[in-house]
Amino acid sequence: MSTTPLPEHPAWLWRNPDPKPSYDAVVVGGGGHGLATAYYLARNHGLTNIAVLEKGWLAGGNMARNTTIIRSNYLLDQSAAMYEFALRLWEDLPAELDYDFLFSQRGVLNLAHTLQDVRESTRRVNANRLNGVDAEWLDADEVAKVCPILNTSPDIRYPVLGATFQPRAGIAKHDHVAWAFARACDAMGVDIIQHCEVTGFVRDGDRVVGVETTRGRIGAGVVGLTAAGHSSVLAEAAGFRLPIQSHPLQALVSELYEPVHPTVVMSNHVHVYASQAHKGELVMGAGVDSYNGYGQRGSFHVIEHQMAAAVELFPIFARAHLLRTWGGIVDVSPDASPIIGPTPVDGLFVNCGWGTGGFKATPSAGWTMAHTMATGEPHPLNRPFGLERFTTGALVDEHGAAAVAH
Amino acid sequence: MAETSTLRRSPLSHLHDRMIAASVTGDRAVSVTETPFLAQVSLRVEPGTAAAARLGTVLGGALPDGVGRTMTAGTLGVAWLGPDELLVVAQADPQSLTAALSEALGSDRGAVVDVSANRTVLELSGPGARSVLEKGCPVDLHPRAFGPGVAVTTTLGPVPLLLWQTAPATYRLLPRTSFADYVARWLVDAMTELGSPEVP
Amino acid sequence: MMLLTCPWCGPRNETEFHYGGQAHVAYPERPADLTDEEWAEFLFFRDNTRGPFAERWAHSVGCRRWFNAVRDTRTYEVLAVYRPGDPRPALGDAVPAPTPAP
Repeated sequence: MSTTPLPEHPAWLWRNPDPKPSYDAVVVGGGGHGLATAYYLARNHGLTNIAVLEKGWLAGGNMARNTTIIRSNYLLDQSAAMYEFALRLWEDLPAELDYDFLFSQRGVLNLAHTLQDVRESTRRVNANRLNGVDAEWLDADEVAKVCPILNTSPDIRYPVLGATFQPRAGIAKHDHVAWAFARACDAMGVDIIQHCEVTGFVRDGDRVVGVETTRGRIGAGVVGLTAAGHSSVLAEAAGFRLPIQSHPLQALVSELYEPVHPTVVMSNHVHVYASQAHKGELVMGAGVDSYNGYGQRGSFHVIEHQMAAAVELFPIFARAHLLRTWGGIVDVSPDASPIIGPTPVDGLFVNCGWGTGGFKATPSAGWTMAHTMATGEPHPLNRPFGLERFTTGALVDEHGAAAVAH
Repeated sequence: MAETSTLRRSPLSHLHDRMIAASVTGDRAVSVTETPFLAQVSLRVEPGTAAAARLGTVLGGALPDGVGRTMTAGTLGVAWLGPDELLVVAQADPQSLTAALSEALGSDRGAVVDVSANRTVLELSGPGARSVLEKGCPVDLHPRAFGPGVAVTTTLGPVPLLLWQTAPATYRLLPRTSFADYVARWLVDAMTELGSPEVP
Repeated sequence: MMLLTCPWCGPRNETEFHYGGQAHVAYPERPADLTDEEWAEFLFFRDNTRGPFAERWAHSVGCRRWFNAVRDTRTYEVLAVYRPGDPRPALGDAVPAPTPAP
């Protein structure tokens, strides 16, 4: 038997503290948005007596299940501002957090397959440019130069007529992003408490003053809900309703391959998006399953359809082996835009409704949620995304730019 | 009025040669043909009413009254599509059939509509027919659950159609006209494998 | 894969159905009398139950009828199916599936 001692365990990135009796701010949900919220509460607002409560393990929900696409080419002014702010933060975060989470600005192509797609896409390119988002319209030949493995021949069922291209878009390694935020939060004194499920809210009149958890009651000055997938369940426990439906969203990866796919390709029309992760897996996602579901799994026919679409667009994928499929739970709002802001309960704020697009907004969601929790008022970026828009009618209808069916 | 029957073309006329060429012989023989221009009449009528009984009399038997059920009388068949919806398929003149049924319905609640151009009829037959359909139909076609005289609306691949088993190894497929080309090509592709020895 | 039992056609593959969201949401009797809040509630707010949920489905490629189902949104188990207009059944009283001919 070898007598070589085991190597030293690497330093933990964050502590595992027991919850204190109370905090100035409690963030419910230890995914990307929750961690980013805590990070910016500490960094921008000087609040460090904060807890992030996670019912499972850190970043084990949608943060572990998304397909890591980052882009800001949304149609409407309010969305473009929110996502472009996020993209600018992404560009600085690896240095700021001192953590290389493999943010790769390899560009994203959003394909157009019909005349209607072409019109919508060129409109979006023009809107993007007016909002300072780098966007270009490429015809099919130019698309082929960006992504040579894409089938741009005119004889397929939904031929590629062109695409919007955002060169600054890309992908990042999602779990490294979570760990980077968690380490930075921890260093500023934030308590990250895993396996601590919030089961109820403690109120003093109209105001929330704490949360009931599986690890006891925890007092709170303010509470933020960043628990995508379970936002409605928490809102119900707090005594109000959200215009949210929770749907399964599936994704899959292939076995590892040599680099073949240089960019990110999304097709709204045939319902597939594909990129290649740094390790080499082809990463693909589809639209949501139609029904409500908290099961973190979806239906086989959705996966089948998405793979059929992928093979038509990328003939080279035909012999790739599927390694793993999985599902998450996405909060879908009526206008395919998020809800970030105050709730009917004083001191309780919500960040939810990102549908399939939460990962890319992690930094700006955290930034604006932190601002809202710290000041009690929305940041200019999230002011259009308040809950009251469903009463006023000032919806932010992003169904077209959300890239997959909502 | 011009005689349209000399001008009209069936939805699959351009694929008849391909369909004949795709015929498979041997243990798992299967072939597909189009039976174009059958009269098809949509009936909407409350089951169990006097109007339903009168329509049955015109058609030559009691109307089918539940999922999967059919009624046949000579070259005429009636399939159950829904609780108050039936489809008549017949080798007949659609106009006179529709007129006779309209008269039987009278002013009672219901509808009789000539939908002959809505769907075309494919016939898939041979010992291999069930294997071909099982490649893309979610309904259980095993004899324990399906058999001659059973018809259901379902899908083949992505295409909705009426699937009607008329004999132990014969199925009628009624896709809508605009999907017929896809269905015929799908069948030709699915049949090809049966021409080779079965791989156990 | 989810097998759904249509009250008229029996058990069929999920791909034959279309989802219709929460069941038993009545159209307001006098929409013009509603406040903006009440109208928003009707238009945009639906239950998002984690557990048994009464919801609408249409057998869109089959008999084309709408019906209701109680389904557990955690396990996707269908606990009951019933015809539109019928009250939501007590759990355990699943409507027996019709037997397809023959």
